[in-house]
Amino acid sequence: MSELLNIDDLHLEFHTYDGVVKVLAGVNLQMRRGDVLGLVGETGCGKSMTALSVPRLIPMPPGRITAGRVTFNGEDILSKRESEMEAFRARHVGMIFQDPVTNLNPLFTIREQLVDAVLYQQAQGKRVPGRWRGFTPSVRQLRKEAHERAVELMRLTGIPDGDKRIYDYPHQFSGGMRQRVLIAMALAGDPDLLIADEPTTALDVTIQAQILRLIRSLVAQLGLTVLLITHNLGVVARSCERVAVMYAGRVVEESPVRELFRNPKHPYTRGLIAAVPQKDVHRGGLEGIPGIIPNLINPPAGCRFNPRCEHVMGICRESVPPAIEVGAGHHAACFLYAEDA
Amino acid sequence: MNIRFYILRRIALVIPTLIGLSILTFSIARIVPGDPVGLAAGPRATEEIKEAFRREFGLDQPLPIQYINYMTGLFRGDWGESLYTRRAVINDLRVYWPATLELTTAAVVIATVLGVPAGVISAMYRNRLPDHVARVLSLFFVSFPSFWLAMIFQTWFARDLGLFPIGKRLPVLVSPPAPTTGLFLIDSLVQLDLETFLISLRHLFIPALVLSFGAFASITRITRASMVEALEKDFVRMERAIGIPYRVIIFKYVLRNALIATITVISLNFGWLMAGAILIETIFDWPGLGLYAVEASLSLDFQPIMGIAILYGVVFSVVNILTDIVYGILDPRIRYG
Repeated sequence: MSELLNIDDLHLEFHTYDGVVKVLAGVNLQMRRGDVLGLVGETGCGKSMTALSVPRLIPMPPGRITAGRVTFNGEDILSKRESEMEAFRARHVGMIFQDPVTNLNPLFTIREQLVDAVLYQQAQGKRVPGRWRGFTPSVRQLRKEAHERAVELMRLTGIPDGDKRIYDYPHQFSGGMRQRVLIAMALAGDPDLLIADEPTTALDVTIQAQILRLIRSLVAQLGLTVLLITHNLGVVARSCERVAVMYAGRVVEESPVRELFRNPKHPYTRGLIAAVPQKDVHRGGLEGIPGIIPNLINPPAGCRFNPRCEHVMGICRESVPPAIEVGAGHHAACFLYAEDA
Repeated sequence: MNIRFYILRRIALVIPTLIGLSILTFSIARIVPGDPVGLAAGPRATEEIKEAFRREFGLDQPLPIQYINYMTGLFRGDWGESLYTRRAVINDLRVYWPATLELTTAAVVIATVLGVPAGVISAMYRNRLPDHVARVLSLFFVSFPSFWLAMIFQTWFARDLGLFPIGKRLPVLVSPPAPTTGLFLIDSLVQLDLETFLISLRHLFIPALVLSFGAFASITRITRASMVEALEKDFVRMERAIGIPYRVIIFKYVLRNALIATITVISLNFGWLMAGAILIETIFDWPGLGLYAVEASLSLDFQPIMGIAILYGVVFSVVNILTDIVYGILDPRIRYG
């Protein structure tokens, strides 16, 4: 299958009063159509920024992309004009976020927001005949169809009584239902790629499971391509086919899911998997990775994990390790696996 | 809870407020130091004359009885009469009040129509040229005393350029439209008298514009601030991420969130302008309530003072109710909460 998304050597800086934060330092990520890729890492490792670079929603300033390319379907995203980006987002990308409470506009009914999502994603950046101008039979027909599509989307995302509840306001919905509404809005224009940025983090555990099940069933039904961002390895294990592990602004390991859990290669990934609490946690206590995540204003030279790594070598402090193939579709950015190291 | 019940509840809540206000102003008007009867009857009035005055105005009765008499009079349309002019207060209010209402409303409309877009543009182009222009302008307008600006405008536009009349609501030779509301603009429109409409519009324009400056500044600033705040909300990023055009996000989704604070400031301004219109009214020889109120309070003429206080209280309450209704329309959480 063809390559859908290619993030190539992306460098991103944030200018703050304390100095320049090197948030992303050469991120590489590829997705094919139909992929379900999990992007995991600790808070602040750059997962969300990597994801936001695709619809180009990183706030700039203070953010600045200093190097790298993002291509989608072969189109260079970073060189598009803002008006082209609006059309691009409408046509190709859907995105859902962490907190379903703050991500819906509290002053508008679900109908207003969902119908707009349908209309503007269909229009793909072109004008939509509004309610004020051109209230002709064709406009009325357009809006009626959009309404029907909205109800259909609510059914698809598992919201009961969508035809009635569509007239409700967000505060009349529970958290899980709101997240379903947001998924419906993201899917309104049949996007090529759904980016889910920590979609279950703000929800109860039982609701988390429901939302993940919904995303999985949508993948099966619609053949969606999904980039799922999470810090929860359990979510990755249940929902993804491939996984990329990020540490301090770089992808350190990328592999099929089963392979990663069975055979983690990068010392950071190993530490991460060892840190997942097991059933017998009361006997062994919690495992952790020694040290803390580096300050990205002044990151360590070479491999950014080197101060915390138990296998650290001289070269790790000097140069950045390239992604080395360590198995079928399995890459790790670590000098331990370099032939000549 | 539906919107009708919400509105009814708002109106019901106003009643105790108005009763409180009437008791308060009544007490203040009667307890202030100074002897209104002595002032009205003249320095050489004998004790008998003063006594007759007191009896005539019911001032010999105990205060609670006086209050009840006053309140029952209010509902019968008898708002008392002035100690000096002996005219009925209600008739004076009918003459002066519409002029002030017209001036204030026009000023609030101008300030809103200019201020809200200026605030929106400011927020959209935050820290860029349009923002700086709007902020400097609004700072400029709040910083100058309005009476000074009023005189400058009068000199430029009326005397030097001759574009607008110097003052008054209408020229002496033009007869005002038959009063239905007392607002010349509306009365002349109702009677399809376009000429009078345009003449009174020209008379209204400069005083209303000058009066609107302070309100323009505060409306611009609050709109900008609340737009900036609303633009930081998560749902803005979500709406952008799924491809809703930025202009739709701004003018449909963000603006409504920002307007709640703006509506508050607009209604507050309406009250301030009504009370503060006196300087402008004096400069432009505008026959409004301001001058009437000042004269009444300087001479302790308690019936007009009471009448004005009650009238302003009612107007404030009406504005408040309207504001609450607009809140309820804008924000469903207020309506249902």
